[in-house]
Amino acid sequence: MQPFTTLTAVAAPLEIAKIDTGVIVPGRFMRIRRRPGVTDYADVFLYDLRFDENDRTREEFVLNRPAYKGAGILVTGIDFGCGSSREGAAYAVLDFGVRALVGPGFGDVFVGNCLQNGIVPAVLPLPVIQDLWRQLKETPGSRMTVDLVEQTVVAPDGARYGFAVDPTRKGRLLKGLDDVGVTLEHLAEIEAFEDRYRKRMTWLASKV
Amino acid sequence: MDTAHLPQSRTMLDKIWAEHVVVPSADGEELMFVDLNLVHEGGTFMAFDQLRAEGRKVRKPNLTLAVTDHYLPSLNRKAGVAAIPNPAIRNVVEWLAQHTREFGIEHIGPDDARQGITHVIAPELGLTQPGLLITCCDSHTATQGALGTLAMPIGQSNQLRHVLATQTLWQKKPRQMRITIDGAPGPHVTAKDIVLAIIARIGIGGASGHAVEYCGSTIRAMSIEARLTICNMSIEAGARIGMVAPDDTTFEYVNGRPHAPHGQDWDAALKYWRTLPSDAGAPFDRELAIDAAALAPMVSWGTSPQDSSPITERVPDPASIAEPEHRRRVERALEYMQLMPGTPLSDIRVNRVFIGSCTNARIEDLRAAAQVARGRRVTVPSIVVPGSTAVKRQAETEGLDRIFIEAGFEWRDSSCSMCGGSNGDIVPRGERSASTTNRNFEGRQGPGAMTHIMSPSMAAAAAITGRLTDVRKLVR
Repeated sequence: MQPFTTLTAVAAPLEIAKIDTGVIVPGRFMRIRRRPGVTDYADVFLYDLRFDENDRTREEFVLNRPAYKGAGILVTGIDFGCGSSREGAAYAVLDFGVRALVGPGFGDVFVGNCLQNGIVPAVLPLPVIQDLWRQLKETPGSRMTVDLVEQTVVAPDGARYGFAVDPTRKGRLLKGLDDVGVTLEHLAEIEAFEDRYRKRMTWLASKV
Repeated sequence: MDTAHLPQSRTMLDKIWAEHVVVPSADGEELMFVDLNLVHEGGTFMAFDQLRAEGRKVRKPNLTLAVTDHYLPSLNRKAGVAAIPNPAIRNVVEWLAQHTREFGIEHIGPDDARQGITHVIAPELGLTQPGLLITCCDSHTATQGALGTLAMPIGQSNQLRHVLATQTLWQKKPRQMRITIDGAPGPHVTAKDIVLAIIARIGIGGASGHAVEYCGSTIRAMSIEARLTICNMSIEAGARIGMVAPDDTTFEYVNGRPHAPHGQDWDAALKYWRTLPSDAGAPFDRELAIDAAALAPMVSWGTSPQDSSPITERVPDPASIAEPEHRRRVERALEYMQLMPGTPLSDIRVNRVFIGSCTNARIEDLRAAAQVARGRRVTVPSIVVPGSTAVKRQAETEGLDRIFIEAGFEWRDSSCSMCGGSNGDIVPRGERSASTTNRNFEGRQGPGAMTHIMSPSMAAAAAITGRLTDVRKLVR
């Protein structure tokens, strides 16, 4: 996982509410293997919003407008990433080049998937989000900053807003630490737990 | 009474959570022990690819079970996996078989008599037991919370890879919400209608960040199958965890199933399971009360499960919605669904009907649908896809298959099928379906498909009349 400290990038307003993970990556694309070092999921990100049923680019869709090309931050609508737990949704965000999402709320499972893939989902109140959309539409191509160290989002007009992040996740994101590596440092504790567990839950002892 | 020296009252979640913490944390994520990890083929090949690339092994192969369900054809299964015409779909099915062999994991494959939808067969086999922490790379994992199980959805790649490599999971304890359901539901008001009414009330993000405990007299009177339906749709209100306290109904359900403890083990387990229900006075962060007696059969009209109303109502008018975000979303939903505001819901014509999925394809669901189908004829293409091979066999023993076939339904093999369309069973673009599934998102059943979700008896009624129908008027 790539570390995340602070990101300043072009931000795009994605004002549609409740974009579920099945819109982020339609189910028919969840059969693609993702090769190390290749952004295999970039093309399928929000496919049915970016392309029509004949696979032609929908020029009017916000992420297809030249000013928002290469956006690294998306300012999303309510409940972005609700629905199915498909991790491909987080891959697609990442492979598309987006490292931070700023929105009024995100699907729970999706948040977990983002944090484990080096994407910061920052929750800000809806009125703030609406103001960010307004600024990003007034001046397309504006840049924003998402600072994980300070836990702040900096708007195009310079206003700063604090956001919350789980302290464990923050620590690992800042260093780009992989979960499995961190966990296996606790292997002795895990084994001791399992010994105690077998004694407490005798009917499970033969399995654990 | 001075309660300061008494042990604090705890919820069921508090108790089960505490039993599984390996590395505690006061305010962040805790390392939790996983009793059972369930894997299906959808997207999970990425976790195995990553483990292989890192040279890692599965730490406790006997605590993971793999099941093929999402990509399996519901037709022509005897022809075998090699006959799956779409190579992209065939690959995904074959990869799970390869990966489970490679990593030494038990696999319930397409030809196994135990095959079915993961959340249907885990309770069926007695794998789902009170007090266990179960993970599955599927957002409907909370289904299994119906037995007093801490069942959690995990991501299909990184989080699954973590559970496979360590048998643990980093999790922050969620806030807790109690939904109390009292009152006797009227005729044809089912668990599905109750949970749709809850979601319509609180919204698709209404329980985000919370674990939900469903309780009250209505829940206590429910079968395990109905409780499974309620817990199944917890995620549609934003909750990753939904649970019902175990009681005698639970213990009777679990007892004697293939993986249930027996003899002395059963006695020890039962003693522990009886300690699990929330203590009187245990604190919840939020409360919601539902009067089941006041509910009618529900149908969805929009593109989110929260867009659901009693069948007796009309398509809402966005002009009457004050909040601009909400109004815009409803406008977009009606545009996608090609519906005019004010249309009576029972005037909406459908092109096809799907009875199936982890929400509503257990034997009680099929009995309810068959009761409506008996002696009638479908007027639109309609399929029944049992939730498991065992459910299918049971239904055939009871003669339900004959009822469906004589009514003109297709009687298929167990698969997730047209719920998400992973296996190619999709609703064609521009067509409208009545479906017993859990999601009516844009494109959920296929690009451009319009989905109305409802209970099995309501879906059967729609199959007969060709429109959304109040089953209470059809079956008097």
